[in-house]
Amino acid sequence: MSGGPAEEGRRERLIKLASAMAFLAVVAVAVLVVITQSQTEGGDASLEGVADVRRLLRGVPQEGMVLGEPRAKLTLVEFADLQCPTCKAYAEEALPALIRGPVARGEAKLDFRNFTIVGPESATAGAAALAAGEQGRGWSFVELFYRNQGGEETGYVTDSFLTAIARAAGVADIARWNRIRRGDRVLDAVAATTAEAEGLGFTGTPSFALESPSTRGLQALGAVPSQETLESALAGTS
Amino acid sequence: MKAPPEGTLRAIATFLAAFGIGIATYIAIADAGGDAPACLAGGQGCETVARSSYSHLLGVNVAVFGVLGYVLLLLCALLRGDGPRMAGFALSLVGFGYSVFLTYVELFRIDAVCEWCLASAVVMMLLFATNAARMLGYAGREP
Repeated sequence: MSGGPAEEGRRERLIKLASAMAFLAVVAVAVLVVITQSQTEGGDASLEGVADVRRLLRGVPQEGMVLGEPRAKLTLVEFADLQCPTCKAYAEEALPALIRGPVARGEAKLDFRNFTIVGPESATAGAAALAAGEQGRGWSFVELFYRNQGGEETGYVTDSFLTAIARAAGVADIARWNRIRRGDRVLDAVAATTAEAEGLGFTGTPSFALESPSTRGLQALGAVPSQETLESALAGTS
Repeated sequence: MKAPPEGTLRAIATFLAAFGIGIATYIAIADAGGDAPACLAGGQGCETVARSSYSHLLGVNVAVFGVLGYVLLLLCALLRGDGPRMAGFALSLVGFGYSVFLTYVELFRIDAVCEWCLASAVVMMLLFATNAARMLGYAGREP
């Protein structure tokens, strides 16, 4: 297989050339990585918290707007407005411990209900969340919306914003989601849960209520309860 | 260590490149139809990855570049001589490097795994190994 000195010399030169080509190939990969990163930072995928939300909700059942084991006896109902900054703070700071704890263990479930108090964009966003819920991605949508929430009634709740949230939340059939979120049915549902919250005497968001075998219907926990209140409610000690 | 016969390496590279063309073409066609590749093992990993912005490079689906790359690697495998040996080595190194990056993105950024993308990454890794063995074993030698 080995040849004479001329062939060995040529082979040596080619190996050196291959080394240079390997260096250029590594540079080419680096350029591709930089291009990919830069386009990601600028586009829809600049959504915050996509991986965090996926990690938080991984393995936890979602059905409609309910997160957790459907047969869990304790239900913590959250009446919230997707535009509300305090609700965002709860989603990011208070609820993850509950989701990773009693909800993930199948002891309790969370039920998100729209309580629109900020403005018209809240109903648009809430309807989009309900439509995502019909494809089993309601909580993914809500959590991602909060992590990308803009200023109240500043016009950021656009079709493209909502679509980006829905895609990142894993809504599989975007056309169906669009049809449903624009329909009267989900808008009526948003109005109905807002009326329900008002009927419970709530005036601010987020407000919480508990439902368990020992409560008759919903037991109001009030608006902006402490994390300890929520934890003890889900521990059945409230 | 003695390299396997060049004919064997070229046959392996031909098979791998053809397999890669099949995988990349399937992903590209699914994307062109406004759909996402179906994960054979179930789950939404393929869909999540396909819908992420990482699935496109300069507005073109990454799988299209994949098809192009695999076709060039197929040509390198079919042709004899130092040109195809060197080109196959460099191309497969670029493909392998970018596949490693995309696999990292799937695992740690998107937090979802697309089995088609993973299969393509494995094929590209094997192509790199085959082309590196061909180049190191036979560069400068008569075909």
